[in-house]
Amino acid sequence: MPPSGAAAGAHPLRRLTVLMAGWEFPPFHTGGLGVHCFEISCELARLGHRVIFLTPFPGPFVEAPGVEFRTLGERLPPGTQIPGAYTPAEIYGPRFLDVVNQYNEWIADLADTEGADIVHVHDWFGTVGCRDLARRLRIPMVMTVHSTELDRTLGHPFAPILERERIGVRSADRVIAVSRHLGDQLIALYDAPPGRVRVVYNAVHPVTPELDEDRTRDVVLYLGRLTRMKGPDTFLRAAAVVAPEFPEIRFAVAGEGPEYEYLVGLAAQLGIGDRVLFFGKVTDEERTALLRDAAVFVLPSVVEPFGIAALEAMAAGVPTIVSKTSGVGEVVPSAFQVDFWDVDEFASRIAELLEYPHLNREMGDQGRSEATFATWAERARQTVEVYREAIRSRSIKR
Amino acid sequence: MKIVFYLHLHQPWRLARFRYLDLGSGKPYFDVDRNLEIFRRISENCYRPTLDRLAALLRKDPGFRVSLSITGTFLEQAALAAPDVIERLQGIVETGRVALLSETYYHSLAFLLPPPELEEEVDLHQRRLEELFHVRPRVLRMTELVYDDDLARFAAREGFSGMLAEGWEGPLRGRSPNHVYSSVARGVSVLLRNYRMSDDVGFRFSARGWTEYPLTAEKYARWLSRSPGDVLGLFLDFETFGEHHPASTGILDFLSALPHAVAAEPNLEWATVEDAVRVPPAGPIVVPEPMSWADENRDLGAWLGNDMQRSAFDAARKAGTFARSAHDPEIMSDWRKLLTSDHFYYMYVSGKGADADVHRYFSSYSNPYDAYANYMNALNDLRRRSLARTRPSR
Repeated sequence: MPPSGAAAGAHPLRRLTVLMAGWEFPPFHTGGLGVHCFEISCELARLGHRVIFLTPFPGPFVEAPGVEFRTLGERLPPGTQIPGAYTPAEIYGPRFLDVVNQYNEWIADLADTEGADIVHVHDWFGTVGCRDLARRLRIPMVMTVHSTELDRTLGHPFAPILERERIGVRSADRVIAVSRHLGDQLIALYDAPPGRVRVVYNAVHPVTPELDEDRTRDVVLYLGRLTRMKGPDTFLRAAAVVAPEFPEIRFAVAGEGPEYEYLVGLAAQLGIGDRVLFFGKVTDEERTALLRDAAVFVLPSVVEPFGIAALEAMAAGVPTIVSKTSGVGEVVPSAFQVDFWDVDEFASRIAELLEYPHLNREMGDQGRSEATFATWAERARQTVEVYREAIRSRSIKR
Repeated sequence: MKIVFYLHLHQPWRLARFRYLDLGSGKPYFDVDRNLEIFRRISENCYRPTLDRLAALLRKDPGFRVSLSITGTFLEQAALAAPDVIERLQGIVETGRVALLSETYYHSLAFLLPPPELEEEVDLHQRRLEELFHVRPRVLRMTELVYDDDLARFAAREGFSGMLAEGWEGPLRGRSPNHVYSSVARGVSVLLRNYRMSDDVGFRFSARGWTEYPLTAEKYARWLSRSPGDVLGLFLDFETFGEHHPASTGILDFLSALPHAVAAEPNLEWATVEDAVRVPPAGPIVVPEPMSWADENRDLGAWLGNDMQRSAFDAARKAGTFARSAHDPEIMSDWRKLLTSDHFYYMYVSGKGADADVHRYFSSYSNPYDAYANYMNALNDLRRRSLARTRPSR
């Protein structure tokens, strides 16, 4: 064990070896969790740390220089389906938990862990295995929470998942929440000791500003999974209020999810069937194109621990409206913040951004600088700080 | 050395949230309840206790003099929220040792609008002062202490004998701010704010990190006494006493102790702005561009520094044409309440540093975009109302 904290400033700090259990990793990702795992792993590697990523997926993964992979996939019977992190559990039922159990057992018994300094688990998937692994290796465990089961199910949690979340929060030496809002929830509903909770926000890569200033931005954009938690129906209801006043504007819904059919029906019912375009799941290129055409981005989530899509929109210079319950609001003070249920206020904010060009431009510029203020490298450095804190807390205990 | 102790009283009519969807709804623009609630709170912390202290000092010390500017919107809110504040003001003005100043009724940037807006607002304000206080001021101050040569000419036309301005280095060209200067307009003297001495009280009084902390009345009077020159302007926001610096900082006791401490320095005497403009000028002062007392640059950047602010002011100017042709006093008064400079101040996009903190402290919105959108909605609605009135009925 190296001398703790006090020496930190004087010597180059020792590089750490991190066993990271993140379930999904691009291209096998369905949401913010996979993106976060990819970015943080790459940046940790770039900072000189050794990252060993533990995933059930067999690969191949997108290029992540310096990141080592161990996959459960090789041990699974051929043809086993591995669900993405945001696939509703009921679709897979008990078989989903079978894969999860195998993942955890595999982690608990992981071999070749020589020199590991820290176990880092993301969300609930590998909490049991990581807890056991950390105990066996006598090293600290850090858990990052990206969202909670209580939120994802709007208060109707699937018990085995909730239990795994609790195990993670209880066993972790430090718990990282992706927003203060989420951190407070972990303290209130998961009994996380306040002294162990830290906040590390997500980040985005800067987008080169569009040079074509005269380009018409005529799209009001929703981009996210189509689940009740994300509030896409609020987007459509607000669109219906605004649409008659702005006949040249198009409303775009990009993303897929269980609410898709309901939403298509709702748009027709609201009389804006011809004004809303449903894009389904979009590729990175399509997303970039949508953001280039967007005059306004709306994130109306009922529950949103962070909301990285809003950060991406702002980085692209698109003025953004977020619900007050979105964690991303904590890092982008210039975004309009609206109560998630207030359809008229969403409609008014959209109309204001369409009506007043100076507002649109200045908010877009300011949002760009706020969204790109902190980089993933900075977030990785903050994560390392938490690792070191966790390690120090162990050496003090001994 | 004459000490001119001048305090400024102002409250804006802050807007309610006026949504885009509220256009045409007839919903009022201003949140009267909230404004009056703020007024009552500040009355409790500042207006009442400070006015009571000033009254006591005037009773005790025959040499003590104060000058006050009180905006029309302040008087409107006081009448509704705390009429006793007006009575207290009347009480000290009756002593004859408190001078009042003229300004724009709505604390506006009317000097940037086409005539006759500026003249009308100054007249409106003057009439209100005559009604309430039976005085006719001889000295003019412009919103946020804005001053330039054109305003001096305006003051001359309106019969004023003096104007206030920031004692900023540029136009002083190495000369001391502690003198009266002659403006480019005949008969109009310029009284300058000694911003260092004023900010010692206004900004630094409660700053524990300041090397001079804590500031006592005796120490401050000694500084005044040792200052070169013949007239020194301490120009402050009235809310310095009890609001910006809460009573717990000792600011009110500082105020109470100041006249006694000043009396102990033989070369110091108090003067109102009206006393001071009679002091012979030390030389001319030329200010071609508007200069204010706000921010590091002392220009109009705090209100018209960014595109949103300029476009909002421009829209307000255009709306004025419609508002005037509607010939409806209610529309006119709503429009003028929207001219109050505070609305533009809220649209300032803060960077970092001291100015940003000051802007945040004074803003009634969570961010400048909120302020702008809300303002533009109200102005749009006002234009619609005006047009509806102007359009000939068929």
